[in-house]
Amino acid sequence: MTYRSQLVASLAAAGLIATSSAAFAEAKVALMGGITGPIAGMAPAMIASMKLALDQANAAGLAIGKITYQEFDCGCNPQVATDAATKAVNVFGADAAVGPACSGALLAAVNSVTIPAGVLVVSPSATSPKITDLDDKDLVFRTVPSDDFQGRALARTLLERGVKKVAVAYINNDYGKGLAEAFKAEFEAKGGTITQFRGHEDKKASYRSDLAELAKGGADTLVLFDYGNASGMTILRQAIENGFFKQFVGADGMRDENLIKTLGEANLKHFFVSAPVGEAGAAFEKFAEAARKAGLDPNATFAATSYDAAALVALALEAAKGDKAKLPQALRAVATAPGERIYPGEWEKAKQLLAEGKEIDYKGASGDHEFDAKGDVPGSYAFFKVEGGTYKEVQKMK
Amino acid sequence: MSGLELINFYVIPGLISGSIYALGAIGITLIFGILRYAHFAHGDMATLGAYVALGLVGSLALSPWVALPIAMAITALVAVVLDRVFYRHLETRPKILTVMASLGVALMLRSVVQVVWGVDPQVYSTGIVRAESYGGLMLRSRELITFATATGLVLFLMAFLRYTRWGKAMRAMSDNPELARLCGVNNEAVTRLTWVIAGALAAAAGFFLGINTELNTMMGWSALLAMFAAAILGGVGRVEGAVVGGLVIGLVEELSVLVLPSQYKMATAFVILILILLVRPQGIFKGKVL
Repeated sequence: MTYRSQLVASLAAAGLIATSSAAFAEAKVALMGGITGPIAGMAPAMIASMKLALDQANAAGLAIGKITYQEFDCGCNPQVATDAATKAVNVFGADAAVGPACSGALLAAVNSVTIPAGVLVVSPSATSPKITDLDDKDLVFRTVPSDDFQGRALARTLLERGVKKVAVAYINNDYGKGLAEAFKAEFEAKGGTITQFRGHEDKKASYRSDLAELAKGGADTLVLFDYGNASGMTILRQAIENGFFKQFVGADGMRDENLIKTLGEANLKHFFVSAPVGEAGAAFEKFAEAARKAGLDPNATFAATSYDAAALVALALEAAKGDKAKLPQALRAVATAPGERIYPGEWEKAKQLLAEGKEIDYKGASGDHEFDAKGDVPGSYAFFKVEGGTYKEVQKMK
Repeated sequence: MSGLELINFYVIPGLISGSIYALGAIGITLIFGILRYAHFAHGDMATLGAYVALGLVGSLALSPWVALPIAMAITALVAVVLDRVFYRHLETRPKILTVMASLGVALMLRSVVQVVWGVDPQVYSTGIVRAESYGGLMLRSRELITFATATGLVLFLMAFLRYTRWGKAMRAMSDNPELARLCGVNNEAVTRLTWVIAGALAAAAGFFLGINTELNTMMGWSALLAMFAAAILGGVGRVEGAVVGGLVIGLVEELSVLVLPSQYKMATAFVILILILLVRPQGIFKGKVL
């Protein structure tokens, strides 16, 4: 055997050893937020909530040792997110990731980086229905419900309220399109009629020609999947000004207080939105208390889901006992029934139960997180109207 | 679809967007023609003008229509200062440096607007305005004023360029700066005047965009492509070309919805831009070839 072939053989052997022992000496978690870009305003609270959960876990002294974490900026952008994920996996050596925050960013990052690398990903805020159907080897989860639930619930609610014929306009991105398609499938399956189904681009000066097209077919109701601080506002304004449609229905993106301020409450009597509602309960209160102590606003957008995503990752790391391959299985075990209930902050109890080999069932600040086969959680939604300068719940949506 | 409907919901909005694009495109085409570079900060200059008017409406409780000329004057001043501080130093260097610098200026202007006025969309006056019917034509006073003011500004500018000494100097410099200088044209003063006109018209474009929809900090940047397309379509350096180009782009965008899915509205400006560069690079009115 020459020197060179010896070297090759020993390297190969080393490689074999390295792949067969998946145990990690130190648990590493990447926090992937949309620190720059369109959701930059939400990112600080989200990242801080993730850190809160991991700091609590470290303070409790888990059996797997200290969890090291590092922030990565996904920019709410597919390219930036792919770079960030590559860095997180190859340089930082992450065992699991919390995030990415945006749907488009998540889809790019998991397809090209984290799924091939076998890294668990739990997103607190990516809501696109496309994520449900990913071929993800059970590695992609989220603590926020898919818009598929919202779209379908909204379709059922409208039919229940006697609206049988609608036109649908959506902003042409993963959010708008995903919602619109879920809505369409359910609305038509339950006997409703969709007269027009059209996408549009953001930031145009006029949507009057779009509205004229949408109005063809004679629907009285326009269902508008868009953002209330972007083209959604322009479309709504031009529709009301020009007398298109009698009633307007939006989803969570349209639930924007600034919209009421600029268009005037008197003009929005026939405007309704659906939006997810948190389950106010003991679990949320426990998180809220810890968050306030840490100087965080527990009601900040996606703060609770971010805390839960990080907490679930920490619990899964502990339950998998350092075996990266077992992480998805461990995540399901700690998040879903059966098992002893664990509320936010009950790290000592969780640690003890897991050490004894018992099952636990995490009840999170933002919900129970009973993951389905696709790694999604069901959500609860309500239907809102405009009243007193804000949005007031009209009914729960089923 | 009746003819009235076509006019009300496709042609009128198209003409309004078109007038706004035209106001922006005139500035772009003048800078292109006289100073010989693409000014990418033009959209954000329009944004700044719109927000300056908003500031005047908010702080001095002025009517938006009174705030408009003041905002135009302020933005013209800002344009001259920007030229003095950033672009003038690059005068003798390759033009691409100035183009890149204008991208940087665009980001700076937008950030200043975001810091001062925030990132939420805002309006000059809250509430909505329903259209009045003029024998079936649905029009709002703000739309009539937009169209009338744009027309007035364009006619004034064209008369200025054709009949005054300064207008002739601008045209001379556009044709040949060296020769113009030899004939005694003060290039520096012409440059300053170009910025005054471009800045004021950009502010008007931003203001009309804002009053017909909402103000947001990306409004100018997202209209920039359409403005460039309008300038190139009409012929670089030709004011009347920029006007025709703007109206064509505005109309085509709205009318495209009749035959194409709405997602492609934005793309129609691109398509026109590419076609004109391939088929007739000098533009409708025989401007400079890029």
